[in-house]
Amino acid sequence: MASADVEAVDFEPEDDDLMDEDGGVDVEAASPRASQPKLKSAITGGGGGGGGTTSSLSAPKKTKGRGFRDETDAERNNRFAAKDFDSLDSDGGPGPQRSIEGWIILVTGVHEEAQEDDLQNAFGEFGEVKNLHLNLDRRTGFVKGYALIEYERFEEAQAAISTMNGVELLTQTITVDWAFSNGPFKRRNIRRRSPRGHRSRSPRRRY
Amino acid sequence: MAGEENSEFYLRYYVGHKGKFGHEFLEFEFRPDGKLRYANNSNYKNDTMIRKEVFLTPAVLKECRRIIAESEIMKEDDNNWPEPDRVGRQELEIVMGNEHISFTTSKIGSLVDVQSSNDPEGLRIFYYLVQLSFCLFDLVSVLQ
Repeated sequence: MASADVEAVDFEPEDDDLMDEDGGVDVEAASPRASQPKLKSAITGGGGGGGGTTSSLSAPKKTKGRGFRDETDAERNNRFAAKDFDSLDSDGGPGPQRSIEGWIILVTGVHEEAQEDDLQNAFGEFGEVKNLHLNLDRRTGFVKGYALIEYERFEEAQAAISTMNGVELLTQTITVDWAFSNGPFKRRNIRRRSPRGHRSRSPRRRY
Repeated sequence: MAGEENSEFYLRYYVGHKGKFGHEFLEFEFRPDGKLRYANNSNYKNDTMIRKEVFLTPAVLKECRRIIAESEIMKEDDNNWPEPDRVGRQELEIVMGNEHISFTTSKIGSLVDVQSSNDPEGLRIFYYLVQLSFCLFDLVSVLQ
């Protein structure tokens, strides 16, 4: 407990191993303060409901910011701690997820000078575009590079993805994929229980 | 940059204050496994906490990482930013690659606040990134 400040700067690789998967829950339950440097958010400790989600960081991080120093907000732990989050009906499996009104796809690599009409024309081909978000970079005024497009039907969205992914739009190659999924995705570098030998050495603890 | 792609990513943003209507805040986070969570609380007119969650695809997380990296927020430091005060508090926590930032500052009303601060350059990046996070966070509003 008393070493929270120190821990915020550095932590042992051994601690890190304990944080892996189910092990992490025990550690956090026993000493919530000790887990702070992992992620400041309380979500980490309380939110085990995501079907084996990892709450830990896989390697020591270079930390920066006041958030690691002034830990006064005790009720932080209540904000995300509860289990009763509203979520879309989901069977928990892989695959795309329907939103309330329809099926949403993400387009990336959108040209910074693209207009809504450009996307409307290109993607209206597959069905009526119910919603189109083309966000701007507020600083530059240019398109940030992505768009969210909503179709009413799964088939329309699927056709848009199949046809438009990798296509050139306004001289740039765009990527098109689902925005929502049914469950957590597996990170490719999934950590094993005994990561030694596969990971580079962590820096030595400083005092 | 290729290494960045599979590296860990976590983002949490909080804005809130305590006042007449209790602890009013909004918080959302993007977790490494794709889970996006959102909580919004106010006791105004006996309102209760709203909590929502949804899973995002790797494609969305990848785009988030790109935007964060491009913003260069990880190079900033909150040392010279305004301290949280009675008016409110903002927190931005991001884990990306081997870096983990956890910045706190006061609420920012407009760019005038940014300009008059001790670190207008850094705070401006924060300001725009937060606005953009809200755009990504539109994803949640679509669900309501």
